[in-house]
Amino acid sequence: MTVGRSTFLSKRTRRLVFSVLGFAGVAIYLFPIYWMLISGFKSSAEIFANPPTFFPRAPNLDAFHSVFVQENIARYLLNSIIIAVPVTLLTLVLGSMGAYAMSRIRSRLVDVALVVVLLLQVFPEALIATPIFIIFKSMGLLNTFPAVILATTSKTLAFALVILRPMFLQVPSELEEASYVDGCTQFQAFWRIVLPLMRAPLLVVGAICFAQAYGQFVYPITLLNQQHLQPGSVGIYAFIGAEFADWHRVMAFASIYVLPILAIFLLLQRNIVSGLTAGALK
Amino acid sequence: MAQIRSPLLHVFLLAPVFYLLALIGFPILYNIAMSFQEVTLGNLGKLMRPFVGLDNFREVIADPTFRKVFVNSLVFVSVNVVGQVSLGLLAALFFAETFAGAHFLRGLLLATWMLPGLVVGALWKWMFASQYGVVNFVLAALHLTGGPIHWLSDPAVAMTAVTMAHVWYIMPFSMILIAAALTAIPQELYEAAALDGAGPIARFRYIALPALKPTLLAVACLVTIYSMRAFDMIFALTQGGPLDSSNVLPLLSYQFSFQQFKFGIGAAVGTFAVVFVFAVALVYVRTVKHEARA
Repeated sequence: MTVGRSTFLSKRTRRLVFSVLGFAGVAIYLFPIYWMLISGFKSSAEIFANPPTFFPRAPNLDAFHSVFVQENIARYLLNSIIIAVPVTLLTLVLGSMGAYAMSRIRSRLVDVALVVVLLLQVFPEALIATPIFIIFKSMGLLNTFPAVILATTSKTLAFALVILRPMFLQVPSELEEASYVDGCTQFQAFWRIVLPLMRAPLLVVGAICFAQAYGQFVYPITLLNQQHLQPGSVGIYAFIGAEFADWHRVMAFASIYVLPILAIFLLLQRNIVSGLTAGALK
Repeated sequence: MAQIRSPLLHVFLLAPVFYLLALIGFPILYNIAMSFQEVTLGNLGKLMRPFVGLDNFREVIADPTFRKVFVNSLVFVSVNVVGQVSLGLLAALFFAETFAGAHFLRGLLLATWMLPGLVVGALWKWMFASQYGVVNFVLAALHLTGGPIHWLSDPAVAMTAVTMAHVWYIMPFSMILIAAALTAIPQELYEAAALDGAGPIARFRYIALPALKPTLLAVACLVTIYSMRAFDMIFALTQGGPLDSSNVLPLLSYQFSFQQFKFGIGAAVGTFAVVFVFAVALVYVRTVKHEARA
């Protein structure tokens, strides 16, 4: 869209102006994340300083120390990971099976399945939580990790199927047909030929599902009422439930809690963006 | 083509579909069934409970809280749709320009969408704090406000605060989807229009906008669906308060069930939300399927 507009601004100046504006805009937009990360390094006096300090005057680790010692954040993080890892694996297994089948079966059944998936992914967890609570209660699953893992996977699986289906469609079926000639079974073709080609998309979907499961709140707070089982999201909630909160400690807790997600995001940013653009609306 | 019809593929297809039907479809139907029953803590575990017809719905509709929260939900969802689609479109157009770092910066914004909803809620609760919050400080420093705004404790403002935080949270996702559709428009169309003397506004109006229309509709549906899910963030920010001024239907349903133990009423409130979301989902599926075929 740049054609014919560079009459009074040279192309180079124009690009520079856009770069500066873009950088400033993104910096302002992401300021809340910066604010979270630095608030944890402030002392209990500095956190309530007026005017607030935009860079910690005397950075210290007291808040982080208390979060580890008094709040036992390690326990919460471990629980988050115990929930998120199986959710991710289960989602990838069921998701790649379903997406592969959707890309290979040529019948109305696929259309029906796709519509069912698209329709089921829209319901808010807060509404599913009550019946799931009742169903799992009668099955004796309350206060177990499998309850949260099974419930959370329903959310991530629908998302994974929607994103992965167009990716699997891109793999030409000639590759598999050639392997059948060589005597491969369909499962072998899926396992040895298609899946290795899908490594990059599976990594993206896995990363997003991990982040979603790791941050999940509704199911753990509904299905787990014992503190030693609860994940980081519930830990933060208990922390801010009170009217008055020690914000430097809350932000230290939140910073440590989101660190794995931010790390995954920064590492895979490019892949996540291209994965979403390729799949999310197809 | 014998393998195409192999039973293995059908197992592969049905396993995840049945999983979703069991863990989403069945609970949703169960919830709808409960909204026609008298549910107490005593008969919670049973499937057969006294049928009460539309009693729960009558009680819900007569409840002024429900009517308030129903309107809140409509406001929350529509401001989110308008805000996210327009800001997302503006940001997508901005980053579609050629300049150093355009793609990297655009991708970086998506960091907000990756955060857990509870962290977003906690973060904005701290920033919105009346006395020590950074939002009030910046507004006062820019001389935009007379005194501190009680973002989360003033019933007149709480909904605005919650909505702003949610637009911030999800807008980058909307932007990425719009940006993808924008890149798919062939550059030759713009060049041809430019040769014909169309300025940037005319090119946007007559080329980009018509090409983006299906995407914008799909994004609007997705934003509606995402906004109806905004449970964690609101739970952390305000719990729907004060006086239900920032409450939305799924949260109200949850509160009826798990804080007042009125499961039938909670289910009836939930059914309203289910019907609403389902209607939007039908529009969404139609749009996406139409797109896929085109």
